[in-house]
Amino acid sequence: MKQTPQEKIIQNRMKSGNLTLEGFLGNDKRHYHEIINEDLMLLNSFGITKEQVAEKLQQITDLAFEDFEGIADKEPGISVEYISIRGRVISPFNVQKPAHKGVIHYHDNNKDIHFCWTPLNIKMIRDYGFFEGKGSKNRLEPALIYKAFFSK
Amino acid sequence: MILLILQTTGIVTLIAGVLAIILVIAERYLADYGECTIDINGKKKEIVKGGSSLLSSLNEKKIYLASACGGRGSCGFCKCKVLSGGGPLLPTEKPFLTAAEIADNVRLSCQVKVKEDIKIEIPEDIFNIRKFKAVVEKIVDYTYDIKELTLRINEPDTISFKAGQYIQLHSKKYAKVKHSVSRAYSISSNPENPQIVQVIIRKVTEGICTTWVHEHISEGEEIEFTGPFGDFFIQDTDADMLFIAGGSGKAPIKSMVEYLDQKKSNRRMVYFFGARAVKDLYLTEYFHEFENTLADFTYVPVLSQPDESDNWQGRQGYITKYLAEFVKDCANTEAYLCGSPAMINAMVKGLHACGIKEENIYYDSF
Repeated sequence: MKQTPQEKIIQNRMKSGNLTLEGFLGNDKRHYHEIINEDLMLLNSFGITKEQVAEKLQQITDLAFEDFEGIADKEPGISVEYISIRGRVISPFNVQKPAHKGVIHYHDNNKDIHFCWTPLNIKMIRDYGFFEGKGSKNRLEPALIYKAFFSK
Repeated sequence: MILLILQTTGIVTLIAGVLAIILVIAERYLADYGECTIDINGKKKEIVKGGSSLLSSLNEKKIYLASACGGRGSCGFCKCKVLSGGGPLLPTEKPFLTAAEIADNVRLSCQVKVKEDIKIEIPEDIFNIRKFKAVVEKIVDYTYDIKELTLRINEPDTISFKAGQYIQLHSKKYAKVKHSVSRAYSISSNPENPQIVQVIIRKVTEGICTTWVHEHISEGEEIEFTGPFGDFFIQDTDADMLFIAGGSGKAPIKSMVEYLDQKKSNRRMVYFFGARAVKDLYLTEYFHEFENTLADFTYVPVLSQPDESDNWQGRQGYITKYLAEFVKDCANTEAYLCGSPAMINAMVKGLHACGIKEENIYYDSF
């Protein structure tokens, strides 16, 4: 695959040990463009956009942020917890200001869904449609997000 | 066929090699900017060899701007005003600058190349910032995820800092981490002991520097750091003091309380330390001891979600719930906060509700 110099830089930043210990690609051998394209196609098949996903994640993050010392009850059976950490982490795309470090844990006991994300996940999804590579610790599966937030 | 492929590969490699040599020669002789002058604040002039970034040129002259990414244009910390000679603003800088900063000639020093004489403005206290070599004298485990490092400074031999300031620790390469990173950590030791710097570091999942500290550093090892940085320090007033911290946010408050104790301060002080459960508490007895040595000091640990097995008899829930109990004179109280962004956000709201003025609330927004 042909890459511009900037794309090569981004791909390199995504590898483990550059910006974060484990990186953003997990054990996924695909180029980040391919990861983005396939995930966006999947979102499209569900009839949702990356912006809708990011907005949903941001809404829940804001709710949890306001209740930092405890677990916010979003709806009956749904709870969310923000583990806030000092410091910031930078996006491998390098066009956004650094995101706060932290992890948001989402528990939906009604649908038996538990997953987590970071403030950086939201930025990368909103701006690039990047959900991280398969096997990455912070990979968000579009199908799981659809099931959690957009399906009945 | 194979011979043809090998011949083609060889020719392409040869051409690429020749081009690389031409580029190196061109860089050496054609892009020679000669000596350039960096005029700092109109008071100090440094002569440097042109061609390097402003950040690294200043570093060569032992003038250190904060930088967490080592000059790769990805942290946005190394800002300074460039009044002339910096060239046009680059696309790599824009995402890190506000409209007001751009209008005020603020630039990212790692992205500005010194190609001609240049005029800059930096805060005067940056001249106090130095790069230090130190030996890890002691490592103490405070909790399952928090350690304190005691660093004995070797070169230069002392550091001058204010209680509440921070250093930037430079990690070494390890395992799959192929480059050094710099991360900010508040100093936890007393500034009256200038040969020693202590830092309290919580392990962060995925953190390159905290993993290095927690899993790869050992006592006796020589490490490097730069500092001191920051404008979070004790205000020189007689106001009552309210300290609020959580997790590794205890570090700057420890430095402040040790300093105030040594100075035999008579100011009224209350220190709230927020943690989730008993396993997250540390230095509890140490801080209760200041209740005996300082004139008016109270240490209040508050747990948000203690385990049943903790059998916790102390205060529980939100720190904000207990503010009114301890704040006697809102108009004459200063609050010093250190913790996560969510904690700072909640505490600032609680302090406002308690009647403490915005201008009397101090914190480091890492």
